[in-house]
Amino acid sequence: MNQRIRQFAVVLIMLYVFLFAQLNLIQVGKKTALDADARNTRQTVRDFNDPRGDIRTSDGVVIATSVRNAAGSEFDWQRTYPEGDLYSALTGYFTFGYGATQIEKVQNDVLAGRTIEQQLKGFRSLFNGRDTTGTVETTIDADIQQAAKDALGNREGSVVVIEPATGAIKAMWSWPTYDTNLVAVQDSKLAGDIFSFLDEVPGKPLLANAYQERYMPGSTFKVITTAAALDDGLITKESTWADESEFLPPQTTDPIQNYANKVCGGDLPEVFRRSCNTPFARTAIELGPEKMVAAAKRFGIGETIPFDLPHSASSQFGDVDYFTQNLPLLGIGGFGQGNTQMVPLHMAMVAASIAHGGVMMRPYVIGATYDHDGGVLQRTAPTVWKTPMTPATSSLLTELMVGVVNEGTAKCCMRLANGVQAAAKTGTAQLNAAGEPERSHAWIIAFAPAEAPKYAIVVMLKGTTAEISEGTGGTLAGPVAKKVLDVALAQ
Amino acid sequence: MTDTNNVIAARRRSTEFRLVLMAGIITAGAYTLASLGQNSVIPPRILPFLAALLLVLMSAHIGVRWLAHGADSTLLPVATLLNGIGYVMIARLSERLAGLQTTWTFVGVAAFVAVLFVVQRVNDLARFKWTFFFFGAGLLLLPMVPGLGFSSGGARIWVSAGPINFQPGEFAKIALALFFAGYLADNRELIAAGTWKVGRFYLPEPRHLLPLLAAWGFSVVVMVGQKDLGSSLLFFTLFIVMVWVATEKTSFLVIGLGLFVAGATAAYFMFDHVQTRVAIWLDPWSRYQGKGYQVAQAMYALGSGGVSGTGLGLGDPTRIPEAKNDFIFAAIGEELGLFGATAILIAFLLMIGAGLRTAMRTTRPFEKLLAVGLTTILGIQAFIIIGGVIRVVPLTGITLPFVSYGGSSLVANYVLLALLIRVSDSSARRLGEVPDTATFGERFAARLAQRRIKRHPEELEALS
Repeated sequence: MNQRIRQFAVVLIMLYVFLFAQLNLIQVGKKTALDADARNTRQTVRDFNDPRGDIRTSDGVVIATSVRNAAGSEFDWQRTYPEGDLYSALTGYFTFGYGATQIEKVQNDVLAGRTIEQQLKGFRSLFNGRDTTGTVETTIDADIQQAAKDALGNREGSVVVIEPATGAIKAMWSWPTYDTNLVAVQDSKLAGDIFSFLDEVPGKPLLANAYQERYMPGSTFKVITTAAALDDGLITKESTWADESEFLPPQTTDPIQNYANKVCGGDLPEVFRRSCNTPFARTAIELGPEKMVAAAKRFGIGETIPFDLPHSASSQFGDVDYFTQNLPLLGIGGFGQGNTQMVPLHMAMVAASIAHGGVMMRPYVIGATYDHDGGVLQRTAPTVWKTPMTPATSSLLTELMVGVVNEGTAKCCMRLANGVQAAAKTGTAQLNAAGEPERSHAWIIAFAPAEAPKYAIVVMLKGTTAEISEGTGGTLAGPVAKKVLDVALAQ
Repeated sequence: MTDTNNVIAARRRSTEFRLVLMAGIITAGAYTLASLGQNSVIPPRILPFLAALLLVLMSAHIGVRWLAHGADSTLLPVATLLNGIGYVMIARLSERLAGLQTTWTFVGVAAFVAVLFVVQRVNDLARFKWTFFFFGAGLLLLPMVPGLGFSSGGARIWVSAGPINFQPGEFAKIALALFFAGYLADNRELIAAGTWKVGRFYLPEPRHLLPLLAAWGFSVVVMVGQKDLGSSLLFFTLFIVMVWVATEKTSFLVIGLGLFVAGATAAYFMFDHVQTRVAIWLDPWSRYQGKGYQVAQAMYALGSGGVSGTGLGLGDPTRIPEAKNDFIFAAIGEELGLFGATAILIAFLLMIGAGLRTAMRTTRPFEKLLAVGLTTILGIQAFIIIGGVIRVVPLTGITLPFVSYGGSSLVANYVLLALLIRVSDSSARRLGEVPDTATFGERFAARLAQRRIKRHPEELEALS
């Protein structure tokens, strides 16, 4: 019988070798595919059962935190956003079935305590039972953010406040938005229904309009045309343009008109503060497609904004071939109409670069990350992104923008508290073709104090209502910018 | 009875002691790690746990030292290691079940020592082969008794007696292995000889083969009727292996395999639940929302474990339905990775090796066949359930010996282990490796005889 037993042993060993082979196939061979399977919620579940660090503003207001659920809940923790909708475009959401966005997404490793540094430090936590989660500190100032929300009210649009010298975002708000708590619910089906509903809402509340959308900038774009022409030497402060109500560019019979068909002309400070259209159309065409497109590129137009939150949009102007064929459109583009599209954040950066001696900083909202004991994991160092103009041009533009506030299109609305001098440029971007009902976006870019700028701002109101479309950048966006800057400068 | 004899046995026991201690250290370490991983604290009940662990390991070891001095030194340590790893996983899945499993482990070890004590001459069991058959058959039928048996998870294999629920089938397997070993030891040559000429073929005499076939057929029919596919498969394999080893006739193996193919095909077309199992085996994903969910979750668990595992207490095995039971191997694969899962496979191979080595060392057919049968139960049962979890074979619900949660399974496996160790010790005594001292029963009988001789010396004279 022993021979049979030996044979049986061989059979059993072979069976176990099969098991071993299959185990290898699953745990090594198919691991990646299994982990990637959409129905495999293990990683998400693990995240949901682990503590997760806070996200807070630069002045210490907690804007995302995790609270422990009552015993017996499906998950141990619930992610909550104490400020409701105020920071939803910044924190993003952290959901069970629908992934994560914005800071919750890009800083997931820090928040969950999974960076190598945290893991190494966390080794000690084995013995004292403390968690290893990290904290993300944004550059946002809670008071300015609240002021932006209050000032914009229920009008659709965006407000971005930026620190010119560093590129740090101090406030970023857009309406419509959504309350992040609505989608961070544990009930996956409910979250799905809310997402479907938010998807349907006009105005794209799920998109952070301030940096994920682009709009026609109107006359705020004139600062770019002016900078391009000044740096080129085509114009100076002393250049003058004749009074006219319209200008017929080459290649067309359709003249370019001033706003409301007004007769407009004079030296550079005058046409700039009155925001005449024809001088800038002429300047853009005289500079020519190559120089205008090159100037736009110097401002970073056409590139994705190197923001530290995902999926930022890129502004657009047009390319040389296109404008060579369509010189009238180059003229129109020179004052921010036609196909010109700017991301609100990008316009704030344009204002900031004028305020910062012609240097455009890379914008960022994540100021620093900390481990559980408050030790710094990483602190964002400001870096230069573009140098779109010379310092001389930037100081002349500042002078021109001060003129806009004191005697020009923003005279009504930009007198800041305590006599602080602001510099600004307004824009009213006409969206409708001739004969259609008036539709226009109202813009303002500004910075203050003009002599030593601390904050640059963009306010953009979407031309979705008759009320906004009837107003101008100065009268509508101006008061919003003033309120926000007053709050910012009061600190 | 020389000194060298004692040296061999003493060396075996001291090896066993060290190995058992190592299994204990691994278990205690794993228990601590699982708690650290799960709650980031040293387990609060570490001291009672260590005390219970030490008590279990030492009573089993001392039991062997006392009652089976010459037995193989690896069987007990490997079994306690499997039991320990299983316990750690169960404790990590459910604190409540861990408490129950502790109780069952104590009962299991008590049963282990009790069997070693009661069964001191294993060959004597051969005489009770029909008793074992009827005992086993009765156990198999118990769940069918109205008011006593009940179904759980689709199979009617449970019996409820007062506060305790148990699966009598776990013990029936051992009883039936004892029956087969006893019957085949007596009749294997007659069956193998094939003296009944039918046409061109020589077949075994019906009167030798029929009782065996009837006993086997009855058991398989009952198990299939209870929808206990895993046990049916195990029992079928057990029978074929034992007949094949006993008769040394490959033709029985071929016939057995033919019967298996025919039976499996018939079962496939006759029973819906068999078709479902096969469909899930081939493609669990298309039935993800239904019965494929469990296997799919096991795949995700094993995948997330990868080579080195997530670490004890750091995985998410609670997502696998029945992780504590049939699917405990997936939970181990998740948290201990390919390394840990392979260690479990190797542990079972070590037990198979020790069991079959025991079978080869003994010279008595009954002991040989019993050791083969018990090893088959252990090795094939582990293969069936591990293979089911990792999709080598269709899934059939059955426990992973020593590892899965479950009182009946654990106690039955400790009884099985005791019998294997008893066979091993018995051959060691016969080979002269250990002094073959008289058992309590024998000493008692001898004393009775002496007393009788004293009182009635004429009887002894009459005998001579």
